[in-house]
Amino acid sequence: MPKKQQNALDRLLPLSLPIFHMLLELAEGERHGYALKRAILLRTNGKLNLGSGALYGSINKMLEEGLIEESDERPDPHLDDERRRYYRITALGRRAAQAEAVRLRDLVKLAEARFDLPEPA
Amino acid sequence: MPDTPKFYRWLMRLYPARFREEYQPPMERQFQDEYRETDGRSGVAGLWLRTLCDVSGSAPREMAHELIQDLRYSARVYRGRWLSATLAVAALGLAIGMSTAVFSVMNALLLRGLPFSEPSQLVELWKASVGVPAGHEAFQEWARKSAYLQEAAAFSASEMNLTGTRGAWRVKVAETSANFFRLLGTKAVVGRTFARNEDAFGKSGVAVISYRLWQQWFGGAPDVLGASLELNGRVVTVIGVAPPRFDYPGNASVWTPTAFDFEQLPKLGAFLFETIGRLKPGVSLRQAQELFDAEVQQRDPQSLRADELNRARLVSLRDQLAGSVRAASWVLAGLILLVFLAACANVAQLLLSRTTERRQELAVRAALGASRGRLIQQLTTEAMTLTAAAAVLGLFVARWAVQAAAAVAPAQLAAQAYTILDWRVLGFAAALALLTGIVFGVLPAWLIGRLQPSERTMRIGAGRADHGTRRVRAALLALQAGLTLILVTGSITMGRAFLKLLDTDLGLHPRNVVTMSVSLQGTRYRGGAAQWQYYSEVLDRLRAVPGVTAAGAVSYLPLASNIYMANAFQLDSGQTVPRIVMNAATPGYFRAIGTALLAGLDFEAAERGRLEPAVIVNDAFARAAGMGTEIVGRSVKASWSKTPYRIVGVVATTKLGGPVDPGSPQIYWPVEEEPPETLTFVARVAGKAEAMLTPCGDAIRAVDPNVPVYDVKTINQRLADVLARPRFYTTAIAFLAALAISLAGVGSYGAAAYSVAQRQHEMGVRIALGASHGRIRRMAVREILAPMVCGMAAGIVGAGAMSRYLEHLVVGARAADLWTCGAAGVCLLVGGFVAVWRATGKVLGIEAGEALRAE
Repeated sequence: MPKKQQNALDRLLPLSLPIFHMLLELAEGERHGYALKRAILLRTNGKLNLGSGALYGSINKMLEEGLIEESDERPDPHLDDERRRYYRITALGRRAAQAEAVRLRDLVKLAEARFDLPEPA
Repeated sequence: MPDTPKFYRWLMRLYPARFREEYQPPMERQFQDEYRETDGRSGVAGLWLRTLCDVSGSAPREMAHELIQDLRYSARVYRGRWLSATLAVAALGLAIGMSTAVFSVMNALLLRGLPFSEPSQLVELWKASVGVPAGHEAFQEWARKSAYLQEAAAFSASEMNLTGTRGAWRVKVAETSANFFRLLGTKAVVGRTFARNEDAFGKSGVAVISYRLWQQWFGGAPDVLGASLELNGRVVTVIGVAPPRFDYPGNASVWTPTAFDFEQLPKLGAFLFETIGRLKPGVSLRQAQELFDAEVQQRDPQSLRADELNRARLVSLRDQLAGSVRAASWVLAGLILLVFLAACANVAQLLLSRTTERRQELAVRAALGASRGRLIQQLTTEAMTLTAAAAVLGLFVARWAVQAAAAVAPAQLAAQAYTILDWRVLGFAAALALLTGIVFGVLPAWLIGRLQPSERTMRIGAGRADHGTRRVRAALLALQAGLTLILVTGSITMGRAFLKLLDTDLGLHPRNVVTMSVSLQGTRYRGGAAQWQYYSEVLDRLRAVPGVTAAGAVSYLPLASNIYMANAFQLDSGQTVPRIVMNAATPGYFRAIGTALLAGLDFEAAERGRLEPAVIVNDAFARAAGMGTEIVGRSVKASWSKTPYRIVGVVATTKLGGPVDPGSPQIYWPVEEEPPETLTFVARVAGKAEAMLTPCGDAIRAVDPNVPVYDVKTINQRLADVLARPRFYTTAIAFLAALAISLAGVGSYGAAAYSVAQRQHEMGVRIALGASHGRIRRMAVREILAPMVCGMAAGIVGAGAMSRYLEHLVVGARAADLWTCGAAGVCLLVGGFVAVWRATGKVLGIEAGEALRAE
């Protein structure tokens, strides 16, 4: 990876928890804001419940940093409200999420070495 | 689909414009979804609670986020025009700073409380119909029966000798009635104040001392109560210490309950008493004034009709203490407001030209869907950045200005020891900055509001200002020119008056003169012979000090603020000359101070072989008697005495009260004849007078350390003291006028440069059609100067109206005449012309072809 891009990534890390979750979700495909919120709520067993202010604040930040972009494609208009916005992950966003995951994996490895972790169920 | 609850819509307003514009629809939609999916009351309550927490966390975050972005953008915008932005900030900063400084002085004088309880109830009564001379009982009786006063107290203040083991000082003593402290609501910090009836004969040998005297004389010792003080030789016992800031009336150090006790302490005279009172609850100042006037009308109607200084009147104590500074502060505040407006006009010009330049950018942004709110937010942030920078600068300016002003602060202000900068002052500066920011942020935004993203705006492109904007710019130019003319005219008027004050012939030579006062009150020198012996010994010692070339003494020194004794005199022809100041001088005094002997002899020469006691009169005396120097040799009698005195000499008239004094007629006795208890010695020295202050003072102290030597100053220092305030005001307004001129210069330069830049195309077309460059340039110059001339015409009217108030700042500053206005106008026009001429230099570079190609 060119050095310049590496620097840009380093500047973004560590990602905040809501942003990492949203990138994980968007890696599967385009989503609108509310869908992201629901998915995160489900994945965290109701522990991370983003209010719309926090949600769109994070979305705004990700858009500004180029991690995601707004999508023009929309599902069948009968199923949709035009007020919804759809987002998709960018290449930079994908790399940032990967880098964050690597960072977390290293952290987990360290934890495994220090504490005797139980095997995953 | 149900509507979004109204409250949620309202909550959305807490987010900044850009965020709201972007995300309000999806957020509302999401809230609706959640609302729909929630069951039961507790569920809805939980949703609202979560929403509130969410908004209170995220709204400030987004606000800060956008503010930082807008600030970055503003910085980029101003970097491109750093010169005009710096000038605008500097001008506005100076204006805010000076307004704040004047406000802080006015705040201290007029708004903040005096160190008394409920000061608004306190009044001073001038020429109260019953006073100290009527005696204790009559005064109390009058106060008790008063329809408007709860209570009245009397006092008279004078300087006295304070002696003891710690040396000899001269202090201000207030002789008061017993209820003085109670009336003012002041309590002692140590001991007590006077008890009821402590002003009765035989009980009044007690004193309250000031906090400062306690610290300086007693070193703050806790056992000060019961200590003895010797005031003019009479022993009094200290019973209390006044609070730290309390020194009313005027710098008092000791208070004794002896206002009515004519035996206890020797007084200057009972006619110098003052009366203060506390109004009855519910009685307004106006009602009290009416009742007071009615009362005086009954007892002594004459005193209501006397001149302004001697008229009987009831005034609020606060106004009385603020005195002439009050009026001067209002005038100064008015002048600074003018500069403030001129500075604002510059900022408005700058922002207006920025907005006009960015019309296309803003119109495009508006067409792309940027809401008006978002554009207003951006422009307001830009304006607020400017004014916030100006406000910070302003506070530094205010601090500096207040320090400069404190040096010449009126005695009351200095004596009350106020801290000048307080929350009110800071709030005032912040409010000024905020107001300017909002006004100048909203004004351009308002202009944008009129600018719809129509085809026309898109087509006309950057910058061709429409007529509305041009009119606003012309009005700003006119406003600035008018304000500047008023200030420049005022400055010329005041400068002239001040120069006249400086140039006034005081009747003496102020260079190289040292003065110092002594008082024999209460010392061991009793009786004329002993006193004269002391004085002549002092004179001998002074004359022996190396560097002293002449020495003498006088009882009323010119430039020293004194109260004079005056009386009518009768010449041997039977003619009476009224109101003659009675002064006493030693031989050598006139030579020492440099007052010319116009005719006849000085005392020392006249002493030999004279038959009648000799006196010397001044020029004003001779003129008042309708004579010149031929008055020498005539004899004169005081109206109360039969002894004739021979006039042996005529001296030049000296001005006792300083340059504004008209120069009163005086008669000088030889000190030896009837030595006064207080005398001021004058020594003319070779070389710098400041260096001789200590040796001269020490020479006098060496004669008797128990006699206080005070006010050791050069004549020039005394003159500087007298002129400090007019000097300050003159400098201040000259500075304001200079600032206004530079603001007008920058303003007209900017306007001209901008106008040329905007109309390059039109000018090119005109040149293509055959107009000469010179003609186009003249047109551009005319366009800027015409509104300035109109503004100045209005300014002349304003200057006429203002100059009436300048007399409050410098005595002798009279109404501005048409010449002064004309001179100021010409100065301003020439300055404007130079600025505009330079700015329109670009016109010469316009080429017809290029301009047309640009189309």
